[in-house]
Amino acid sequence: MNYFLEVTLQLWEGFAVALELFALTLLFSLPGGLILSFGSMSRFAPLKWLVKVFVWIIRGTPLMLQLVIIYFGPGLLVTWAGRAGVDNFFIDWMAALNSMDAMVSAVLAFSINYTCYFSEIYRGGIESVSRGQYEAGQVLGMTKPQIFFRVVLLQVIKRIVPPMSNEIITLVKDTSLARVITVYEIIWAGQKFIKLDGVIWPLFYTGVFYLVFNGLLTLLFGYIEKKLSYFKS
Amino acid sequence: MKKILALILAVMMMASVFAGCGEAASDAEGDLAYIENKGKLVVGITSYEPMNYQDENGEWTGFDTEFALAVGEKLDLDVEFKEIEWDNKWQELESKKIDCVWNGMTITEEAKVNASVTDAYVINAQVIVCKAEAAGELVDAAALAGKTVAAEVSSAGYQVGTDAGLEIVEYATQADAVMAVESGKAEACIIDITMANAMTGEGTSYPNLTYTGSMSEEEYGIACRKDSDLTAKINALMDELIADGTLTDLAAKYELTLAE
Repeated sequence: MNYFLEVTLQLWEGFAVALELFALTLLFSLPGGLILSFGSMSRFAPLKWLVKVFVWIIRGTPLMLQLVIIYFGPGLLVTWAGRAGVDNFFIDWMAALNSMDAMVSAVLAFSINYTCYFSEIYRGGIESVSRGQYEAGQVLGMTKPQIFFRVVLLQVIKRIVPPMSNEIITLVKDTSLARVITVYEIIWAGQKFIKLDGVIWPLFYTGVFYLVFNGLLTLLFGYIEKKLSYFKS
Repeated sequence: MKKILALILAVMMMASVFAGCGEAASDAEGDLAYIENKGKLVVGITSYEPMNYQDENGEWTGFDTEFALAVGEKLDLDVEFKEIEWDNKWQELESKKIDCVWNGMTITEEAKVNASVTDAYVINAQVIVCKAEAAGELVDAAALAGKTVAAEVSSAGYQVGTDAGLEIVEYATQADAVMAVESGKAEACIIDITMANAMTGEGTSYPNLTYTGSMSEEEYGIACRKDSDLTAKINALMDELIADGTLTDLAAKYELTLAE
């Protein structure tokens, strides 16, 4: 029983790290995705294509690879440049980037990745609102920001809740990838018991933490959907 | 509205390009000078009894821990232990996230091409782990022919198994390989004798497992960055620590065999 408590506490410490990564990623990528979605819908073609290519690269490569590139990439460049005798402002900048903490690297990689996924969800939501509503708004003499914030946005939020909840639940579990760059999250904590004590069950026990938290999220999203359901479209 | 947002987006992209400018850490003449400049030696480890592990208070201890601290003291450097993912050790080293891999690392060809490796300091063996009832039979490489044998991916155990002509099923960690034997997915696995001691037999999670013959003897070394002058320095300090008896005492304390 004592051992069970110790395992639970240590796994909880790992899960707290996972939750920190989860929360910070949402903090940056929820607004970031909205801003990026405007880029991908921009009528200024170079910006639109720049954003589209960026989203293609980020969604088209594994998050684990992105983590490794962001965490190790700058340091590797510095070492290789040092051997080749190259030294310039870019290398200095890379050396500074290399002093980034593993958690910072992870938040950066996760935020970029999820910003891209969210931006496509936002884009789908915004484009699903019919043009007629913009026109109606104009007829009523509303300005463009007024139309967006007073008419469009709430409908968008209602429509994107199901796909968003999907991504957000995926994010909870994706945090386990961060252990490859030495973010000591819950799976790492679970594996530690195998290495140290030769005990396997804590690794499986980690699943309970994810399950409970995702259960709470599911309830939360259900509640949000219900709250927004007066809004028949 | 959209134009303003497009502008914000453009500014953010520019800002991200220039973020981090300012603080510059330039490369000194050599690796040792670089480390001395930092004032601390960052040692890459994994939890691995008896080399590096945490005591009840969460403090790092073990043969390699004490050895590294002794070397750090002679170099007048603070020693910081950083837990790494073993598969990423070469990236960790090359990108300067750590300054050396010091964690009961077997000197292999892989280590030699990816790093500058010190002289051997401890001898280890790769042993066959199997269920106790099969212990009489599965004693050497010949007995393992045609059997399902597990080992950690790109580990020394995998290497000796493959060299002996065996089909090896690769697992992420040595612990996973042992789990494969326990669950019947493999009939045997090849792992470090230190690991086998800690994980099998009575009083462990695997009381029904045991280890039999050894497949090979191997040597532990410390990996520094390629072309690093730290390697020669550690070699010299290692000789000093052997001469003054420090390493001999440590080997006795952790029941290890020093290399010649």
